[in-house]
Amino acid sequence: MRVFVIGAGQVGSTIVEALHDEHDITVLDTEASRLHALTGRFDVAVFEGDGTSRKDLAAAGVEDADLVIACTSRDEVNLVAGMFARREAEGATTVIRTSSNEYVDLWREGQLDVDFVVSSELETAYAISRILGVPAARQTDVFADGQVQVGEFDVDQDASPQVLGVPLRDAAIPEDSKVAAVIRGDETILPGGDDDIRNGDRIVAIGSPDAIKRWSTLLWPEGGAVRDVVIYGAGRVGTAIARVLVAQGISVRMVEASRDQAQRAAEALPQARVFHASGFDGDFLERERIGQAQAGIFAMRDDAKNQYAASLAQVRGIPFTVAIAHEAVSVGAFDKAGIDVSINPRAVTAEEIVRFAHDPRTQQVAMLEGNRYEVLDVTTRESSRYIGMAFRDMPVHGSIIGAIVRNGGAIFPHGDDVLQAGDRVIIFTEAANAPWVVEAL
Amino acid sequence: MTHASSRIGRPRRLAIDVVAVANLVGTLAKYLGLVTVFPIALALYYGDPVWPYLVTGLGTSGFGFLLERLTRGARSQMGVREGFLVVSAMLLMTAAFASLPYLFAGGEQLDHPIDAYLEGMSAVTTTGASVVTDYNAFSPTLAMWRQFTQWLGGLGIIILAVAILPRLRVGGRQMMESELPGPEITQLGERIRELARVLWAFYIGMTLVLTLILASFGWLGIDDEMTPYQALAHAFATMPTGGFSPKPDSLASFSAETQWVIALFMFLAGMNFVLLYRGIVRLRPRAVARDEEFRLYALFVLVASVALLIELWSYDIAEGEEAVRTAVFQAISIITTTGFATTDFALWPVVSLLTLFALMFSGGSAGSTTGSIKVVRHLLLGKVLRRELDQTVSPELVMPIRYNSAPVDERTLRAIAAFILLYVGFWAVGASVIAIDSAISNVPLSPLDTLAVAASALGNGGPGFGITGPFGSFAPLGDVSKITMIVLMWLGRLEIIPVFVLATRHYWRL
Repeated sequence: MRVFVIGAGQVGSTIVEALHDEHDITVLDTEASRLHALTGRFDVAVFEGDGTSRKDLAAAGVEDADLVIACTSRDEVNLVAGMFARREAEGATTVIRTSSNEYVDLWREGQLDVDFVVSSELETAYAISRILGVPAARQTDVFADGQVQVGEFDVDQDASPQVLGVPLRDAAIPEDSKVAAVIRGDETILPGGDDDIRNGDRIVAIGSPDAIKRWSTLLWPEGGAVRDVVIYGAGRVGTAIARVLVAQGISVRMVEASRDQAQRAAEALPQARVFHASGFDGDFLERERIGQAQAGIFAMRDDAKNQYAASLAQVRGIPFTVAIAHEAVSVGAFDKAGIDVSINPRAVTAEEIVRFAHDPRTQQVAMLEGNRYEVLDVTTRESSRYIGMAFRDMPVHGSIIGAIVRNGGAIFPHGDDVLQAGDRVIIFTEAANAPWVVEAL
Repeated sequence: MTHASSRIGRPRRLAIDVVAVANLVGTLAKYLGLVTVFPIALALYYGDPVWPYLVTGLGTSGFGFLLERLTRGARSQMGVREGFLVVSAMLLMTAAFASLPYLFAGGEQLDHPIDAYLEGMSAVTTTGASVVTDYNAFSPTLAMWRQFTQWLGGLGIIILAVAILPRLRVGGRQMMESELPGPEITQLGERIRELARVLWAFYIGMTLVLTLILASFGWLGIDDEMTPYQALAHAFATMPTGGFSPKPDSLASFSAETQWVIALFMFLAGMNFVLLYRGIVRLRPRAVARDEEFRLYALFVLVASVALLIELWSYDIAEGEEAVRTAVFQAISIITTTGFATTDFALWPVVSLLTLFALMFSGGSAGSTTGSIKVVRHLLLGKVLRRELDQTVSPELVMPIRYNSAPVDERTLRAIAAFILLYVGFWAVGASVIAIDSAISNVPLSPLDTLAVAASALGNGGPGFGITGPFGSFAPLGDVSKITMIVLMWLGRLEIIPVFVLATRHYWRL
């Protein structure tokens, strides 16, 4: 597939990183230095030019593209680029990134002439809401309209003895779920009945949303459902998160240091309680009992502040912290600081956009552990040699089927179940194997 | 040098264009005189003397015409500033216009200019306080004139002018907002000319409907007292929530059905007309049901009715359907500042008087023809107070005040707080003046009566308690008290601020 990417910033380069192996990629950006940094790492065509210039787009060869991704940090540029690409490359799928709720709404109403609109803020908010549903998880993704969920968990000594150190065939694994992988140091095990889960492992579980929630309680018994959240920062990301959480009936308090932003957030979100205060003010934190919240989300603009505020919140007693890492490098620092979950909005956005580059049969993809593993949602072909084969007989090629969607319902297969043509398969695989897996099914 | 100085001209002292104001007032007066066509026709029909109305009409139109001619050179620059003066002056002038026939044909009880002017001001501000003692002395035409001027004042002369006169297309909005009672937050989004027409058409329509219903009660024998004349007279006083009646005992002699219907229409007249129009004409009752102010207004009426009902029961004043009707009617009548009465509530026990007294500070909805503070201001003040309490506990809490889910800006909230303070201030000052004057001139007013007279005048309610009760009269009051009432009614009808700014130096000076 020929992919045309407008914007070589963080989102753009993450997309290129994920797609450069399998696709022909052309990148357009106004800054030569960014393009230069890309060509140093990946084999991609680059073109220095302006995404809002139809001439530049034409000169860069946009008309040959199958997929056009406009992912600069500026909404207006993406919108204009997307519309020009529509004219220049008529058959192509156009995807634009936006940070405006209004554009997302307009697109949903069919008022924007592009195929897909991806909002960093909204995707980040959804990611956080999924995490809060499964507080023990480092990351979760949903497939097949929410019928299947994938959760990545860290296992520590708090985990229930029903699963810790017990061979999987005897362990009290929640029904309708399966351990897809156990990551132990550098080694990845696709576990059989004899393998066990140990303290310090990282596991990937695939199952129904209920089962994944039960996994969360198994691995972190005291972490219940989150009903009370404090969000630091009422900017666009913070407000988007608050909006999604409030809609789920979660009680939200927001702390914002800028009066104007606090005012705007309070006007936009009647159900949230917004404080105009510094999140570092001990008196304030004490008076408002911020430490008694079940979870803290740190969505301020400055990563360093997020990290500090999260640490302060942990000291105050907030048991679960989620921090926004605007810079990719911050993720590691947050991990080191003991923040439970770090989310990089640009990575989330890139992941969302990358989904459009896959085989049309591949409806959705999630990336785990950086880009080491993928979870794919693939529809099987008639010609696949695995059709009619029982799951117990299938070879293990660094991948494992977690669930299948048949006639609209999710099935979490046992060894005797048989794969049928037209089944949608939710499959965990090493990223390197992904093209092979899609090919084989 | 001469060239430059002629361009610079003489220093101007006034910040407002008084000539333009006079010019506009002249134009309005010119047209206002024309409405005397109605009483003239009535006088011809009843065989009453025509000349009082003819002189009033010709005099007003002639005065307007002259004023307009004299100020013809005006640059016609009607700005926001001039608007305050126009509405304030217009109300004074309309009151004078309404009082002229009393001087000419009112007989002894109204021949004193202050009495006549009080009666006129009471009419055009839709107050309903009267100095009349002998209703039988009135000709049918003069009695109807009282009702008619009240109806005219209900929605406002300026709004009528905006609807009709093309020249008010510019600068009319601010004047209209001054005259249409209610704070600025009920935004008049539509084009004002359109809106003014819709409001007046709706107002006339509602008045006609009420007249027909009441008249049909007379024809069907449901209410023997209800002649077509009485039907029109009471519709004229109900829709503007005025409260004048050609009968000395207000509505007491009418049937229960009539009283219920009038209670319903008083309730409707106390609603926001724009909202009511949407609900009835555009068939969007849900918009009405969802409106926060309407809900609180309905709650006020309900709570007040129940409170009065309990009091009527406990004191054995009334029972059965009569008790319910009396309670509901009086609650609505006082809340909407109409001032009709089905019984002489001045004779009720003190606790009921205090209930009615408290209701005098309610008022109906913004954008209605009611006076007083108005429900939306109570609503928003309540929200502000609640926010103060919450912020005492959590000083950092940011709480925008919402009205119908839209945030209200702080300036509007400040204006509301300021209005309520001014309102209470003017009420207290007015009551004090009336108390002192009554003490000097030996008028038998109790302290509560005094407070009620001032509250009733400022709130454009009408009757007070004691001798000024619904079946009584304001005639015994001293001249100073009467002038105080006139000023209070004037202030109250325009919601104080447009009048009060005229008293500031800043308004007049550059």
